[in-house]
Amino acid sequence: MRRGAAPILLVLYLFAAAAGTMALKVATDRIPRARVPGSSIIYLPSGKYLKVATFGYNLLAADLIYLWSIQYYSNYEIKDRFAYLERIFTIISELDPRYTDPYEVGALIAVAEAQDPELALKILDMGLAKNPEQWVFPFEAGHIAQMTLKDFERAQRYYEKCLAIPGAPVFVSRLRANAMFKRGDLQTAWQTWLEIYDTATDDEVRKVASNHLYQVKAAIDSGDLAEAVKAFQTRYDRLPASLEDLLRTGIRSALPKDLDGQDYVYDPATGAVKAPTIPWKR
Amino acid sequence: MPDAIRITNLRKSFKLGFIPRRKEILKGISFTVSEGEIFGYLGPNGAGKTTTIKTVLGLIFPDAGTVEISGRSHLSPRAREELGFLPENPYFYDYLTAHEFLAFYADLFGLARKVRDGRIASLLKLVGLAPSAHLQLRKFSRGMLQRVGLAQALINDPRVVILDEPLGGMDPLGRKEIRDIIVRFKEEGKTVLFTSHILQDIELICDRVAMIVDGRIVSQGKLLDLVSERVLFTEVTVAGLEAEALAGLGECLSAQGGRVLLRVFSEENVERVLRAADERGGRVVSLIPRTETLEDIFVEKVRQT
Amino acid sequence: MKVGAIALNTFKEAKRDRILYLLFFFAAGAIIFARILAMLTVGDRLKIVKDVGLAAISIFGILMAILMGTGLVYKEIDKKTIYTLLAKPIHRAQFLLGKFLGLVLTLFIMTGLMGLIFLGIVFAHSLRFEGRLLIAVLFIFLELILITAVAILFSSFSTPILSSIFSLSFALIGHLSWGLETLIKKLPSPAARAAARGLYAILPDLENFNFRTEVVYGLPIPPAIYLHATAYGLVYTAFILGLAVLVFRRRDFI
Repeated sequence: MRRGAAPILLVLYLFAAAAGTMALKVATDRIPRARVPGSSIIYLPSGKYLKVATFGYNLLAADLIYLWSIQYYSNYEIKDRFAYLERIFTIISELDPRYTDPYEVGALIAVAEAQDPELALKILDMGLAKNPEQWVFPFEAGHIAQMTLKDFERAQRYYEKCLAIPGAPVFVSRLRANAMFKRGDLQTAWQTWLEIYDTATDDEVRKVASNHLYQVKAAIDSGDLAEAVKAFQTRYDRLPASLEDLLRTGIRSALPKDLDGQDYVYDPATGAVKAPTIPWKR
Repeated sequence: MPDAIRITNLRKSFKLGFIPRRKEILKGISFTVSEGEIFGYLGPNGAGKTTTIKTVLGLIFPDAGTVEISGRSHLSPRAREELGFLPENPYFYDYLTAHEFLAFYADLFGLARKVRDGRIASLLKLVGLAPSAHLQLRKFSRGMLQRVGLAQALINDPRVVILDEPLGGMDPLGRKEIRDIIVRFKEEGKTVLFTSHILQDIELICDRVAMIVDGRIVSQGKLLDLVSERVLFTEVTVAGLEAEALAGLGECLSAQGGRVLLRVFSEENVERVLRAADERGGRVVSLIPRTETLEDIFVEKVRQT
Repeated sequence: MKVGAIALNTFKEAKRDRILYLLFFFAAGAIIFARILAMLTVGDRLKIVKDVGLAAISIFGILMAILMGTGLVYKEIDKKTIYTLLAKPIHRAQFLLGKFLGLVLTLFIMTGLMGLIFLGIVFAHSLRFEGRLLIAVLFIFLELILITAVAILFSSFSTPILSSIFSLSFALIGHLSWGLETLIKKLPSPAARAAARGLYAILPDLENFNFRTEVVYGLPIPPAIYLHATAYGLVYTAFILGLAVLVFRRRDFI
């Protein structure tokens, strides 16, 4: 072998080895293998001693697990990725109870992707327990209770908790009143909206309150009138021809008017009572 | 005037090995070094020379016995201020230059800067390293390290200088230079204790010696007293004669190229060899009497133990 | 000042150590990487930057203290540079103290530089100079001082590998001991509780120097704790150095 050939052959050999290694890596990656993605994190012990295991780097550990979880839950190919949702976010909470982002994002994932609003509320409850000064947790919980669960009583309670925390935005009181209304507690809703109307500092808020008051009164009145119609039907075995029939027969002594002083609309065919105006179009 | 160094009944054992077994290194060493003399401390490898030296310097703590430097305990700071030490195979901070290194040690003695710089310059000149003052020690050869080690031993202008194998690894010219420096110390009134197993060097400059074999002092005293003038044998080289002609007169060491080399053990036999050469027409080329050297004593003592 | 001369010499030696710059490079890299990592988060990015940055300074600072401290005394003994040094009129305690101070000076500069880079990255992110972060960095430095003393203690009688393991164990135990406090309440017998309480008092509590949570979340720090934590650190350090002197005093240098 000539002396000059040795280094050239060595270089060629190195190129061949490098190319071979890269090709093999690509080929190996293609072979499907059973994987439990993120399994190591799933098997982390939970409990208050987890924090001890991080040797003073609990903040960093919480950050890293949170960042990992964002990637994990963005990966739609993992079919059962929600199985450990509660566990992962509990772990993050134990490591760094004050880290607010994971509670919010965890609840978001729970309600929007895992279709598990109860878990979302659980996560937000955990957040509030560890951070009583954060109004955003009961705020978002109220939303979820109202929009997804349609549990207006729970939503109302959450809004009340939120209002008790200093710094909570003012409009939460309106959310609370609305929840009361949706719940059917019309009297308290009326009182609450009246209070908001009286304490409103700008016209916009006053208008909104007034619309809600209209709506509550309409609900109260139409409920009352519906009851009167039913009483008439029980007595005379037919629907009244108009609301004046209720006056003539003495079932009601006076007919209520809506907040603007208008009469309520009665449909003699069905017996339904409606408000003359849509509240938002006033 | 108290002795410069007085060592009394020094004992030291070490526990060596994984299953510690006691090995006694110093078995009761006693000797003194008088003020102003050059003292040679010799012995075979592993006899305990370096252990003794390190004990004197407080690097090793003896199991029993005492060491005094000019009458004071060897561990007292005053004693240390008068000492200078050069270890065997010295190794120093290799990232420092010679000047920085000596300056660091000078600072440990609290020398003022002006005094310090002046002394460093003169010491480097003394050991022949003046041109390398600002060279990093990592670039020094073995001989150069030995020299800078000698310089650091003198940085405090000590009264007593202790050198462990100062001549090891030096070429013959270097050895002569170091020997001359040591003799100069004596002329300046310093006391020098040094160990060596190059016996010629000890013979050339020491006033007194002590010999340690297997942890014990087997011989000590003035060099002149130990080495007698007695002739051991005479080596005679004769030309022009056959070896058989001189048979029986001495040990034939070689018979080549017409020359016979004989080791003759008695005065009479030397006379007989000379007469034989004269009678048979031979020629005496050389006649070298050999007296007892330190090496002879040394080898004898080691063999005895 | 003899201790000062040794300290300065140690500093010169330390700043030549490549490990120092390697670790510093990684620390700076980690701090800068924090900015990139923060982009992956949903929510507060600055928090990620702060957490990763402070953790990097802490982790790499501890590695620096251990890796350099464990070699400090051992190298002198192994390379025999210690012979001529100890033959001079200095106490062995002065030698140890000088080595310690030299390394502390080195770590001070390194921590300071890492802290500056960290503040720079935070500033680049939030356009605000968050001076409070320096409190966390300062107490990380105090922790490093204590760990350096421990590393030197082990270095005075053990090989660098073993010393590193022991020193690292010290650091880890120091961050676990607060867990002992919770455990004490659960122990059944009063004797066991008393023993555990005694152990808790002796073992190092390095969480005393951990102000990262307060600084990152802007929580108030009671002023009394500054003094107490500093005093705890310095007194424990003095104790460890005393142990080192005890071990080193009568050691034979064969």
